[in-house]
Amino acid sequence: MDFRERILAAMNHEEADRVPVMGLIMDPTTVNLVLEKKPVDFAGLLKRPVWGLLIRYLMNTNWFWRRMYYGNFAGSLKSAIKLGFDANWTIYSLMKLNREPESALGWAWHDPFGRVWELGRAPDGSMAVNYTRGLCETEEQWEAWVEQKKPVYEALIKNVRVFHKKLVEKYGERIYPIGYAAPGIFENSWQPMGFVNFTKMIYQKPDFVKRIVDFQTDLYMKYLDAVMESGVEVVLGGDDLGQKTGPLMRPELIEKLYGNSYRMVADRVHEKNKKFVFHSCGNIYQLLDKFVDWGFDGIITMEPTAGMDLGKVREQVGHKLVLVGNLDVSYLMVRGTREEVDDAVKKAIKDAGRGGGYILSTCHSHPFVDPKRLEWMIDSAHKYGKYPLSV
Amino acid sequence: MSGDVLNQLKSSLLELDMEGALAAARMVREDRQVAVEEAVAAVSEALKVVGSRFQEGEWFLTELVYAGEIAKEVMGLLSPLMETGAGGLGTVVVGTVAGDLHDLGKNIFINYARSAGFKVIDLGMDVNANSFVNAVKENSPFALGMSCLLTSTDGEIVKVVEDLKKAGLREKVRIIIGGAALTEQFAETAGVDAFAKDAITGIDIIRNWSGG
Repeated sequence: MDFRERILAAMNHEEADRVPVMGLIMDPTTVNLVLEKKPVDFAGLLKRPVWGLLIRYLMNTNWFWRRMYYGNFAGSLKSAIKLGFDANWTIYSLMKLNREPESALGWAWHDPFGRVWELGRAPDGSMAVNYTRGLCETEEQWEAWVEQKKPVYEALIKNVRVFHKKLVEKYGERIYPIGYAAPGIFENSWQPMGFVNFTKMIYQKPDFVKRIVDFQTDLYMKYLDAVMESGVEVVLGGDDLGQKTGPLMRPELIEKLYGNSYRMVADRVHEKNKKFVFHSCGNIYQLLDKFVDWGFDGIITMEPTAGMDLGKVREQVGHKLVLVGNLDVSYLMVRGTREEVDDAVKKAIKDAGRGGGYILSTCHSHPFVDPKRLEWMIDSAHKYGKYPLSV
Repeated sequence: MSGDVLNQLKSSLLELDMEGALAAARMVREDRQVAVEEAVAAVSEALKVVGSRFQEGEWFLTELVYAGEIAKEVMGLLSPLMETGAGGLGTVVVGTVAGDLHDLGKNIFINYARSAGFKVIDLGMDVNANSFVNAVKENSPFALGMSCLLTSTDGEIVKVVEDLKKAGLREKVRIIIGGAALTEQFAETAGVDAFAKDAITGIDIIRNWSGG
């Protein structure tokens, strides 16, 4: 059985030869460590007079961005192949470098959806990015932003199509690259204006919120179509709907604002005979039944630090959802011992592996996730994940 | 009459009715039939109910945030009229650690802490250890709150604890931490006094510490 058959068996709730293992590698730090490449001190270069100017110019040209971004994820797939993963996610972004005096390095990315991504330095000097705030505080600013960005959205969709397809063509014989249509409709609704602002809009300007959701749904469907053109049978999509102790919004409100959008997403994926796996961080127990109802095929993440337990999730949803996750990345995959990683893999397989429908992975990724621990995770998965399971 | 205004203030807040709450606050300002302190106490009581509803899973983050925003607007009308000023329960210094630019949880905590009667010194985001130590030195708070969303920056909390020890301030302030990256286990190893899984739990903890 090869990696593709293994993933597809799991997606069909069948027991393959063993539990498949998926990588969430995307950070240059991880890639550099795995491929033993010297990190590029991007932030340092930005500060140098000539290099800084050149980088700033190049970064904001579409052709250079496309090359750089492709190179980054080609590195992610090569790393995942080297470590022995069956699959790895691939995610596309389009950003523009902007002066940001408040940022530690004086620079930040702005994305076409209206978000600011803080540009930072990972431990090895590679660049690291994190969403920090939105650029559209008012209805008028949002309207002007999306109007101005229409040509950029077209370029983005085109880039997405080429990016995923090219990665599958180049690496699809050695690993299963699963395209991720992100950011999702919910995140794209609130993040451009910040959570507090968006919350106020829900209560004070419901018609405007509906307009935002409709706009983002329409854009997301195009994005999703572009990702699916890669030809891979599984597509990831998502939105972080949870926080540490529960959903960010009342489930009934999520249903009211986003239910139809999510149903449309699942339907579109199924029309193309593909499977849809939904990513959401946070504590999402109260949304699991919604995911089933909306037609999702699986979920990925299930953060242990938000109280998510694979066994409980399986108990709640049975085999109505494929589960992908959920090894902790706050301690276990950063500082955990060999024995702790081994125990966590054993527990995850025991909790979710029976009858197929389970893909082992970390619950997320960040630059501090240690490749050595990823290796341990894969070793343990090969040791305990053989079907029929004996754990 | 005075009871009506206070009831309107509380019920509007609990029904997430911004206009109703502001109308009640304006009545307090204009008619002066109710002591401002009583109105502020009513806001604080209402927010306690909001907090309980959140902790019990009856309310969600959007409701918690919006109630906090209503309280902030109401307090903006009432606080200037208070003779002694708000913050009678003591001073708390709060910030997001260096390298982290997330402030949603921190700001919810601040909003509720101020409405509950604490004086809050907000150091903002991306605050280095030195700034935390200086703020403790200058303001003598009974509590220091640190927020951290990223696993990559949790080491900053340990650094602040160490620097407070070096400055001889660790025994003078209680430390509470919160944020997506953190756990009870981390709090124990970092040597802080409390971990709050959410902003409302954080308020309960500092309220206990202050005896308020």
